[in-house]
Amino acid sequence: MKKILSALLTAVMIFSLAACGSTSSGNEETSSEAGTSTETVSESEAETPSTKYLIGICQYGEHASLDNCREGFLQGLLDSGLLTEDDFEIDYQNAGFDDAITTQIAQSFSAENVTLMCAIATPAATACYAAAEDKDIPVIFTAITDPVAANLDSGNVTGTSDKLPVEAQLDLIRTLQPDADVIGIVYTSSEPNSVSAIAEYEAKAGDYGFTIESIGVTAQSEVTQAVDTLISKGVDCFSNLTDNNVVGVLASMLEKTNEAGIPVYGSEVEQVKLGCVAAAGIDYYQLGIQTGIMAAKVLTGETTCEDLPFETISEYGIYINSAALSEMSITVPEEVMQKAVEASES
Amino acid sequence: MGNFLELLTSTLTQGFLYALLAYGIYITYKILDFPDLTVDGSFPLGAAVTAVLLTNGANPYLTLLAAVAVGALAGLATGLIHVCLKVRDLLAGIITTTALFSLNLQIAGSNLTVERAVETIFTAPPTMALFGGMTLLYRKLVVSFLLVLLLKLLLDLYFKTKNGLLLRAVGDNETLVTTLAKNKGTVKVLGLVIANALVALSGCVVCQEQRSFSATMGTGQMVFGLAAVIIGTTVFRKLSFVKGTTAVVAGSVLYKGCIQLAILAGLPANLLKLVTAVLFLVILILGNLQKSGVKQHA
Repeated sequence: MKKILSALLTAVMIFSLAACGSTSSGNEETSSEAGTSTETVSESEAETPSTKYLIGICQYGEHASLDNCREGFLQGLLDSGLLTEDDFEIDYQNAGFDDAITTQIAQSFSAENVTLMCAIATPAATACYAAAEDKDIPVIFTAITDPVAANLDSGNVTGTSDKLPVEAQLDLIRTLQPDADVIGIVYTSSEPNSVSAIAEYEAKAGDYGFTIESIGVTAQSEVTQAVDTLISKGVDCFSNLTDNNVVGVLASMLEKTNEAGIPVYGSEVEQVKLGCVAAAGIDYYQLGIQTGIMAAKVLTGETTCEDLPFETISEYGIYINSAALSEMSITVPEEVMQKAVEASES
Repeated sequence: MGNFLELLTSTLTQGFLYALLAYGIYITYKILDFPDLTVDGSFPLGAAVTAVLLTNGANPYLTLLAAVAVGALAGLATGLIHVCLKVRDLLAGIITTTALFSLNLQIAGSNLTVERAVETIFTAPPTMALFGGMTLLYRKLVVSFLLVLLLKLLLDLYFKTKNGLLLRAVGDNETLVTTLAKNKGTVKVLGLVIANALVALSGCVVCQEQRSFSATMGTGQMVFGLAAVIIGTTVFRKLSFVKGTTAVVAGSVLYKGCIQLAILAGLPANLLKLVTAVLFLVILILGNLQKSGVKQHA
């Protein structure tokens, strides 16, 4: 009898805990819950701007670029003018790069009846879009390279793509290293962003007189081996994508390449800060702001996701790290220097 | 309370969908005593095949069978590598999983989304005819529950057959099986085939539920399955009328419930896994308390 009792007790404890959690989050938005469908909610809110929007942010994992996206998104909401921090509430969740947890986070947003879901990175976007199906909650994504390939280009979903400015990057490398022939790229074969970027690199490299030597890895632990292999193949430089596994071990990659005297080009500002020589890349903070502004438009009922096609970053920046450049004895021509932003940490 | 009910529903659904995977691990780990790492590969394999079939307009119910078939093949591969090539159990699973990672990428790419217009087992006409009155959320719960129940009954029946008893004997006492003039290798292979068929079936329904496949979705599934089996069997250790299969379903639901609680706790997002770990520990300690309590009385 005692055992049955304690087993029951466990169950009761767990469910009562769950009840506590959900009622507390429930209170936050019962005030804004006007109707059963979210569409009627946003319509009624457009008339009475004092109601609070509940926004669920699902971030796939902890990562400097993704963090910048999130901070930019919040800034974008404020920038859009219609909203102050009193107008919206954020439920921010981070899935720690776990697909199953991403799904559960998205489903808890749906249960909370959030007004809008913001999904950062592709797995978060697909999970949120699936969880939002039942209630047709709008999903705004960011940091997805290829929304068309991910089937996120139609329906009650839109956002921003972080497609790399590959041609600008090739142009930059050509300017800084006029004699270079072979660009080495390490990428993760299971990251959709990297796979589509590699395809574009291979298609466009010829136009700038480069050949691409690429190695696909399956895990972070294989990156340094791949870097060693490419160094021994004699590549003239490395170019990074926004590949989570590669960026995650960038420091040890740079250690090897610096020893071999091979410059590494980044794909966004954070990588240049860490010691890449230069990058023609995107600023994820700006991307986030752009996303936040789109979200505000959908929230206020100014437009709907269906009428708002996904956007790519309108401008890219050129970032340089002078210390790393001088170590590789690369001189930056004056016309590039004028456009470039110094991004070294020191 | 509407929120709580919905949250409970989606958590239970997750628990049920992944319980199919936990059944598989229950067979290999608990019954056969075989640490089968194939799971991390056969789970996404089932999802990959499902995603490709669905996007090509296949009948969603047929994808269940397709997933079972490919999962069985994955199990067969591990079994043959272990039994015929005499590779150690852990390594045999690692070899198959490693190969499956590439195979999955070949089948479905790194990521494949199934559009909303495509019918799944949760939205196809036969399901709608039966449960069309419910919202998608509750339909998912009912369908996944029926699947779990059906397989539980089938497994319980199977464990009572001669063949099922042999399976249990191999895990408990290999010599006995040999003295019965049965080939223990064949039994092991069979166990792995059944287990991975279940794991791939889980991948199939998870893929249909979240409408996407990703090459990384298998990572950590072995760990999840082990935790679910151990949590379930620990909590119900002393309740002899609770079958192993039921305990495993409970374990899977508890696991997903713990994650849901951690999400709800509203702590900094980075602490999610820590909170989950603490919850697991609490459950296991409670399970052990039961055991020591009994000993004192005995």
